Amino acid sequence: MLNLLGTIAGNILSLPGILGLALGLTTRNYVVAAVLGAVVGVGETMLFAKFQTANIDFLELFVAVAVGILAAAVGCAIRIKGTTV
Amino acid sequence: MTKSNSPGFIRRLWNWFWTPAVAVSSGFLLIVGFLVGILFWGGFNWSMEMTNTEEFCTGCHTMETNLGEYRETIHYNNHSGVRAICSDCHVPKEWNHKVKAKVMAVKDVYHELMGTIATPEKYEEHRLAMAAQTWKKMKQSDSRECRNCHNFEYMDFTIQEGRAAKEHQRAIDTSMTCIDCHQGIAHQLPEGYLKEYNRVVDELGLEVDSQQDAKFDADGIRGFLGLGSKENAGG
Repeated sequence: MLNLLGTIAGNILSLPGILGLALGLTTRNYVVAAVLGAVVGVGETMLFAKFQTANIDFLELFVAVAVGILAAAVGCAIRIKGTTV
Repeated sequence: MTKSNSPGFIRRLWNWFWTPAVAVSSGFLLIVGFLVGILFWGGFNWSMEMTNTEEFCTGCHTMETNLGEYRETIHYNNHSGVRAICSDCHVPKEWNHKVKAKVMAVKDVYHELMGTIATPEKYEEHRLAMAAQTWKKMKQSDSRECRNCHNFEYMDFTIQEGRAAKEHQRAIDTSMTCIDCHQGIAHQLPEGYLKEYNRVVDELGLEVDSQQDAKFDADGIRGFLGLGSKENAGG
């Protein structure tokens, strides 16, 4: 359980959380935001696995993608709510 | 009697938050946001680094046993004057792994409060389980934290002690990792540690090349460092 919570926290404070949110802010389309967030999640996992698929942990990949999608969706919601034009 | 329709404090705060700023320029907001971001992130990172100091790690009563053992090892006192403190071995350097380790360390606070290892007897009772947790992490990460300082590629086997050079060469040839031999490098080993280490490795579905040789090597390393063989010592 702690392992999962730690992985989630690590991703929120890392690229999927921060860059995902930032990319989500660039669009009003939730689908586009989710795709961007997922790409960031995959990218970060690949980056930390030194681009070797053997080093990829499925749980870390799953959490990174999930956090990326959620962060991007939050970013998209902020964009929709926070802009008037 | 009419009921007031004025929104409450939370609602007014929410409305203010989402109302476009008209009194300040976008540039002003960007600059202020950037500066506040730097301050927040700097403060966050600085606070996290504070938790990596030896004083912080050993501030809890239950860490006294650990500290005493570590102070007897070459990682604390050596001829070169280079010291590896707690966080150098137990906290990853990479950001995502570091944050994960910090979140997982919450359990240490819980056990400190509950007094799980508050007495020497309790400590010994949990020593094997605690060691196994660390071995598992080390084995999974290919001894990542060891490799922050040590690297096979940087080793000059010609100036290493003969047995060390031979065993390090064997480790390279058979893809072993540091923790396969160096289980008790900074803390005393519990009784039956080798059996538990094998169990941890089996659980991970990984392998240790030639267990018998690894044991012999671990004892040899401890002898070389003046720590003595610990397998049957129980300490």
